[in-house]
Amino acid sequence: MTLNLKNANVVGDFSAYVDQASGARLLSCLQCKKCSAGCPVAGQTDIKAHEIVRLVQLGQEKEVLSSRMIWECTSCQTCATRCPQKVSIAALIDTLRCVSRAQERVNERTTLPAFNDAFLDSVRKRGRVYEVGLMAAYKLRTLRLTEDMAMLPLMLKKRKLRLLPTEVPGSVERRRMWKRAKAAGGKRL
Amino acid sequence: VSYLFYPGCSLHGTAWDFNESTKQVVKALGIKMPEVEDWICCGSSPAHQTDALLALALPAKNLLAAKGKTVAVCCAACYSRLKTANHHIANEPETRQKVAEVVGTDYDGRTQVRHLLEILVKEVGLKKIASTIQRPLTGMKVVCYYGCLLSRPPEVTQFDDPENPTLMDQLLRAAGAEVIDFPHKTECCGAGYGITDVSLVTRLSGQILAMAKETGADCIATACPLCQLNLDLRQSAIEEDQHTNYGLPVFFFTQLLGMALGVSSQALGLESLVVNPNELLATRGMGA
Repeated sequence: MTLNLKNANVVGDFSAYVDQASGARLLSCLQCKKCSAGCPVAGQTDIKAHEIVRLVQLGQEKEVLSSRMIWECTSCQTCATRCPQKVSIAALIDTLRCVSRAQERVNERTTLPAFNDAFLDSVRKRGRVYEVGLMAAYKLRTLRLTEDMAMLPLMLKKRKLRLLPTEVPGSVERRRMWKRAKAAGGKRL
Repeated sequence: VSYLFYPGCSLHGTAWDFNESTKQVVKALGIKMPEVEDWICCGSSPAHQTDALLALALPAKNLLAAKGKTVAVCCAACYSRLKTANHHIANEPETRQKVAEVVGTDYDGRTQVRHLLEILVKEVGLKKIASTIQRPLTGMKVVCYYGCLLSRPPEVTQFDDPENPTLMDQLLRAAGAEVIDFPHKTECCGAGYGITDVSLVTRLSGQILAMAKETGADCIATACPLCQLNLDLRQSAIEEDQHTNYGLPVFFFTQLLGMALGVSSQALGLESLVVNPNELLATRGMGA
């Protein structure tokens, strides 16, 4: 299949927003596929890294935002490191995660947003992650109650879990930080 | 040079032995490294996947708390987040201003951040470390596993060669170990997916363990709390899944170096390791 692209096709609202917010420089992509060649999840995911870039260029919002890929990416940064054109693919995927959540298009197979929320709540309240509380909150949100419980006795025996949380002063200030970041749209650029 | 230590949440939790062994190593080398006062979480992956501004504001708040002193870090994820914040804040005026509005204070992105490996190899120096070794790790065949975030992306971390880092190799060689070349030095272990999608960790960490075994190594040295957890705590589940047996102890590099510096296994938190290293240590004359 041959696609004849003009610049006009690749600067639609969606692609322009994502490109600007991520600083990814999408139009530099040569489709050399070096990103996907080194990607640890390329073999299992639905849309590979180089395909994500192309789909965003073409404004294929729905495919990208509801893909499994944006929640299976481990943020290992191999793609961005090896890209000969310095396209920040890992940053692009982070932006897509935010847009996917804002538009409520998160792929139903992932529970990562629930984990992320539980994690950030823990940090906002206490200043540091409290693993026992985090796992309880995550399990309640996802109802994955029994998974991984087999690890618990071993982790306790090895003193890997603190039974009591640490509280760092400044919770009021942290709540303000969270609010101000949200008010600014969570965008760096 | 004096440092302020940013341990991060993992070193106060699952990787408490990384924290203890770090304290022992720096003490033995005469480095002072008190903690950053009232440090908070760097935000880790949940922050950068959720809110790009918060993901920079949390590191900025901690770096401001260091009041200009160089910040020492052990956790690869914290290191990556602090370095990423510095990179964007120092190079993008618009980002700097937005972060200042979220934090409530302007931060210039110029507080120095160093990983303990950089401090030991580039600042303390291998010569000094070699001269301090009391019980060389003679005969210990080690592969060094760096994981993703120390060396990638290189323009942000400026740590070492992104495809073939050697700082840990050099350090453990200076401590007397036989460091074996390892093609999977910077492959991904599956990171935090142990909680939300464990099959991913089983597959990726499994490949790293298989390659380590293939090289003939006795054990793996790591510099990241999450990598260590995936390779050690989940090793028996991976062995079961792959119908094989690895039996590879997974140390923090500070535990191996600490032993060579003459620190006791107890003080280095070796009891925290899930794959028991005692038999290996006994056969290499490093038993307690």
